[in-house]
Amino acid sequence: MRPGILKAAFAVTALLGSSLVFAQNEPPKPDKIVINDSGGDMQATMRKVFYSEFEKRYGIRVVNTSPVDLGKLRAMVQSGNVEWTVTEIGGEDAQRAEESGLLEKLDLSIIDLSKFPKHLQNRQYVFPKSVYSTVMGYRTDVFPEGKRPKSWADFWDVERFPGPRTMRNAPYDNLEFALLADGVPPEKLYPLDVDRAFRKLDQIKKHVTVWWTTGAQSAQLLVDKEAVLGTAWNGRYYSAIKQGAPIAIEWNGGSIKESAFAIPKGAKDAYWGQKFLALATDAKLQGLYADIIGYPGLNLEAINYTDPKVAPYLPTHPDNLSKQYWVDIAWWNKNAAAMNERWQRWMLQN
Amino acid sequence: MAEAAVLPGTAVPRRWWSPHSGPALLAAAPLLFLLVFFLYPVFRLMLLSVEGGTTAHFEKALTDGLYVAVLLRTLEIAAYVTVLCLVLGYPFAYFLATATPFWATIGFVFLLLPFWTSILVRTYAWMVILGRNGIINRFLLDTGLVSDPIPMLNNLAGVLVGMVHVLLPYAVFPLYSAIRRVDPGLLLAAEGLGASGWQVFRRVFFPLTLPGVLAGSSLVFILSAGFFITPALLGGGRVIMVAVLIEKQVRELLNWGFAAALSIVLLGAVLFVYFLLRRLMRSELEWS
Repeated sequence: MRPGILKAAFAVTALLGSSLVFAQNEPPKPDKIVINDSGGDMQATMRKVFYSEFEKRYGIRVVNTSPVDLGKLRAMVQSGNVEWTVTEIGGEDAQRAEESGLLEKLDLSIIDLSKFPKHLQNRQYVFPKSVYSTVMGYRTDVFPEGKRPKSWADFWDVERFPGPRTMRNAPYDNLEFALLADGVPPEKLYPLDVDRAFRKLDQIKKHVTVWWTTGAQSAQLLVDKEAVLGTAWNGRYYSAIKQGAPIAIEWNGGSIKESAFAIPKGAKDAYWGQKFLALATDAKLQGLYADIIGYPGLNLEAINYTDPKVAPYLPTHPDNLSKQYWVDIAWWNKNAAAMNERWQRWMLQN
Repeated sequence: MAEAAVLPGTAVPRRWWSPHSGPALLAAAPLLFLLVFFLYPVFRLMLLSVEGGTTAHFEKALTDGLYVAVLLRTLEIAAYVTVLCLVLGYPFAYFLATATPFWATIGFVFLLLPFWTSILVRTYAWMVILGRNGIINRFLLDTGLVSDPIPMLNNLAGVLVGMVHVLLPYAVFPLYSAIRRVDPGLLLAAEGLGASGWQVFRRVFFPLTLPGVLAGSSLVFILSAGFFITPALLGGGRVIMVAVLIEKQVRELLNWGFAAALSIVLLGAVLFVYFLLRRLMRSELEWS
């Protein structure tokens, strides 16, 4: 008995000691943190890959909410009642959120970005979670091998590629696609020649039967054959293809951008938010995430953990990457309000 | 109610409580709720729209061709929906009010089941039914009745179908209770005095149900003027209503001042139409 008690006493002191050291370094563990993401398939995959791992590693429950909402983020920060520990932010909105002072600074001593592309390594506020691309997709039963659209010029060519089309009901990406269709080289896109883009969009307008609003709609329209040619975020087509839909992606002229995560200014347990983002840099987890949903992370080593069969469906695959252009977020941030207004005006004319 | 029935019998006189103050007290809680969760936010919204002492947001909302056109279009669509709901809802409410209990129950189930289903689910269901490749077009194409699919979705028709489906119960319930309240004796009396069936309806029955018509149409009109997700999804992007523009300003562009101004203008327009409608109906009542 005696040695047993001694051992136990040692164990207790050791435990106390270590927890004391622990307490000096680390704020107390909350019993949960709240992570806000865009919901649906993405949330299910986030849970499977990142949330469950975080819960296992730290013993803190992850509660997830959706959707991603910049307006709500601002309301939370301004009212001082921040529910989210971490939130996703849409590619177009990240810079606006940063400039509006809605975000907590990233702690780069916790979040290790050394395996990320050079230009991302000194991020101040916006964590580069993964990349996605707005791409062209089409029905392979309508456009079989040899008759496939290969560029935005083809998308605009209703003689050679007849059939109803669908595009997003927003100026984002569409202005670029119009300019590419009109022959502007990708490296000369920005600053956008807006007048020229809208003139080109005039030509396609009556062939676009649906201007989609939600991501779920975009791929479903092709699955239902409501449209035979369209645009969507690559992961939406990827999951339709995985489920056997006769759809193919054309990467040429795809509009690639970052999907960001960040910690809202004044978030409770912000430290554990930093810890979560640190976990999200893990190459192995990023590889697994891309396998399931088609959105690759930005850790350059993640590709080693991605199924080679999935790689051709990822926007970061070298063959695909070279065909796409990076969206100039700064240009859009400056011009978003004016472009949205002009877009609605354009929609109203018939 | 049970408490009120007991009170007159109690011996202790309570000056603050008389049987007549019951309704007022009952109303106090919802009134307080409205004050805190409705009137105060509306007041804040008003403040937001003139933040910085500028009326620029209102000037823009009231003079910019885009916003004026969308506002008028919104009121127009709301008017279509209101008329359709009344035309469909009136006979249906009449059926519910006069049918045998069995058939009335069946009728209520058909009315309430969709009412309890999420708007989003119903909107997607309409896509399946009305689409180019949807159930109706499939049938028409397969039977050779048409050679090209009829466009029923991603246009105004689709939006109207979806909105009427969602809003029909709001028209039926007030109509139903108005019709139930009509004293059948009055109809018999009119008939006895030699009125034809149409005259009984036009001169006696319909005027007596006007309060229900007013309540139903104003509910439907007000709700449809603020509709957002149904027009966005069933209109294919082409049917633009004010709520869509407001959402864009709030969630994406973070221009809350302008969003507030747009909301106030919409509120003003809806109130204006509402009072106009009341005026009209009142003179109709007096005329009868």
